[in-house]
Amino acid sequence: MERSGNGASSSSSGKEIADAASDQGSIDTSESVQEPGSSDGEAKQAMENKEDEELSRGLNEISIAKGQSDGNPNRSSSGESSGTNGAGGEEMARRVSHDGNSWVPGKRHADEDDSSESWRKHKKHFFVLSNAGKPIYSRYGDEHKLAGFSATLQAIMSFVITSGDCLQLVRAGNHQIVFLVKGPLYLVSINSTEEPYQAMKRQLELLHGQLFLILTKAVERCFAKHATFDMKTLLGGTDIVLSSLVHSFNWNFTVFLHAYACLPLPYAARQTAGAALQDIAESGVLFALLMSGYKVINMVGPRKASLHPDDLFLLSNFVSSSDSFRTTESFSPVCLPHYNPNAFVYAYVQYLTESVYLVLISTSLDSFYHLKDCRARAEMILKKSRVLGEMSRSVERGGLRVKDLSLDSQNGFTARKPDVVRENTKTLLGGPAGLWHFLYRSTYLDQYVASEFTPPLHTYAAQKKLFRAYQRIHFSMHDENGGHHKMQYRRDENYVLMYWRTSDFELYAAFDPLAEKSAAIRVSNLVCQWLRNLESEVFLLGATSFNW
Amino acid sequence: MASRKRTLLKAIILGDSGVGKTSLMNQYVNKKFSNQYKATIGADFLTKEVQVEDRLVTMQIWDTAGQERFQSLGVAFYRGADCCVLVYDVNVMKSFDNLDNWREEFLIQASPSDPENFPFIVLGNKVDVDGGNSRVVSEKKAKAWCASKGNIPYFETSAKEDYNVEAAFQCIAKNALRSEPEEDFYLPDTIDITNNNRLPRSSGCEC
Ligand SMILES: Nc1nc2c(ncn2[C@@H]2O[C@H](COP(=O)(O)OP(=O)(O)OP(=O)(O)O)[C@@H](O)[C@H]2O)c(=O)[nH]1
Ligand SMILES: [Mg+2]
Repeated sequence: MERSGNGASSSSSGKEIADAASDQGSIDTSESVQEPGSSDGEAKQAMENKEDEELSRGLNEISIAKGQSDGNPNRSSSGESSGTNGAGGEEMARRVSHDGNSWVPGKRHADEDDSSESWRKHKKHFFVLSNAGKPIYSRYGDEHKLAGFSATLQAIMSFVITSGDCLQLVRAGNHQIVFLVKGPLYLVSINSTEEPYQAMKRQLELLHGQLFLILTKAVERCFAKHATFDMKTLLGGTDIVLSSLVHSFNWNFTVFLHAYACLPLPYAARQTAGAALQDIAESGVLFALLMSGYKVINMVGPRKASLHPDDLFLLSNFVSSSDSFRTTESFSPVCLPHYNPNAFVYAYVQYLTESVYLVLISTSLDSFYHLKDCRARAEMILKKSRVLGEMSRSVERGGLRVKDLSLDSQNGFTARKPDVVRENTKTLLGGPAGLWHFLYRSTYLDQYVASEFTPPLHTYAAQKKLFRAYQRIHFSMHDENGGHHKMQYRRDENYVLMYWRTSDFELYAAFDPLAEKSAAIRVSNLVCQWLRNLESEVFLLGATSFNW
Repeated sequence: MASRKRTLLKAIILGDSGVGKTSLMNQYVNKKFSNQYKATIGADFLTKEVQVEDRLVTMQIWDTAGQERFQSLGVAFYRGADCCVLVYDVNVMKSFDNLDNWREEFLIQASPSDPENFPFIVLGNKVDVDGGNSRVVSEKKAKAWCASKGNIPYFETSAKEDYNVEAAFQCIAKNALRSEPEEDFYLPDTIDITNNNRLPRSSGCEC
């Protein structure tokens, strides 16, 4: 389990990755590409076909959803390309919300209950209830009005649990009901989005993690003492955090990748930020994090350990979804479930620029003034060295773009001199060979980098659809059946999708459905090579992997 | 907003089949009554918002099946109940005799933290039948039983004529609220940083 973390020397891991990857060779059309009708065994082909079928059914469903969303007429509006003006996925998500169409933070449809026609039509419900059947959270509708519904769910669970079993999944028509038991809490999703069971389970686990981040495991002791405990009363004001989390299940790749993303920065700027954090971390700060939205700029922890990607994700969701953190410096108790589910730590949060914030975590309730001093010191260093400006520019500029895919290793990404490889792409949209998007996860770093969503993926609906397609591939490649495959190639009416895994990385890539297979494979190789060249800018190197 | 937080109370209704549990709940929540008997299968759930003094309370009412063959929902069903309503039919002696069993059963399965003071309430239903002439359990007898079980409040009701139903449920909510646990028991730990057990296992040489 433990990964080698030899402190400073691990900054060379980037190179190791590159070397190891080139040892692996590159994708070769003639072998191992898994696709329907290839020379591989028939069983595999059958599996593939089935998956394709499921995928397209899933995608059809989504487009139906689009058509039905009369309540949100602009949900799939074709205008407002956010991809082209340089915003990261999450900035995009925010922007969409600011345009007011697709996602409104906080509880929606709060007046509904299970007797409302509209409540029943929502495609993805999330519920949390106590094992006594008391409602704690519902994505849609009023928890108290849903008390009867919540009791019904408990009765179903109780019935199964009494027979010594545990309920995980119920399918009813095109709906699936997914259950997750976590101590005294029951988490349930009812949905018709055709997401795989494993994906829904993961989403329920994150929802549980977010509740824990806010309340700690102490709530379990409350239940142990009083089964009548009404946990909902402790969650006042957190609707916005939970709704933002549930929204992120549609766009944040951390959700299924178990990895975090970094704000792209020149290597030197990231180092400077790291040094500023290191300086204060030595004075009794447990973790010091510099973040932008959900993206890490740098972080420093005890003995060079970093936070678990899930803790990072849940913490950054907590901070960036609550507008109150934006305006004032805050000091807030949080629980980092992977670090220690039983305890609160204290998080000092302050935005340094409009988009960049600093989180200092301490174990002491009395540390506010000390952390405030630490922040001032770090802020001064960052301002003096002008790296704050660099960060803001990076946020403005956004991430990698498929059309900038360049092979010239001299061209750092942040130096951006587009020198594009283009070959017979006249008729295809997107980048070279009709590349629309890619997602790359480094195995050793627990980090990923994704390209910006650019046309034709500029609508929220298109992005959600691609997110779910990747998610489906991910789970098909990580379950018992798909676990041993290294590669997947599939084509449907929406895309050509490529998945490639080595011991160092996973690559997901989406191409125009008319893209040529050989060209797609060649460009996938280029992407990997490009990212190896850019590694020091798009990843945080030298951070030791989390060990808990 | 001066109002205090909303509270949810889980109330379980127990009693022999046919004593009128579902009818009482229907009268209370929907202001409806039907002479037709439809045995409850498993359980039914209804909610009603009530005002108790200065508090807004959501009553989550769990109506259970009296018929044994439908009582299959298991142990976990009673868990976390804030109060328990025991119902019998004043015209049927057996339904009164069985109150003991229902109460015992509940205490075993729900295992409340303070069984002595757990808020029960007893309803003697169908007092309207035959103008009270077919009645076999006297009010005195019922009250004596309630007194012997730690002064359980007692109400005579008619779901049919909506007699005392509102008052009985109001009393249930009030008693359940009173026995609500104190709130300040929710106290998480903070980490003791000197105790390094949560720090990462060191990987290799630290020097
Ligand atoms: N006259 C009269 N009839 C009543 C009253 N309450 C209930 N009934 C009748 O008694 C019968 C049984 O009532 P239910 O409410 O279904 O009984 P229950 O206790 O829910 O029965 P189970 O669901 O089998 O446990 C029905 O026919 C009702 O109409 C009442 O106060 N007066
Ligand atoms: Mg009934």
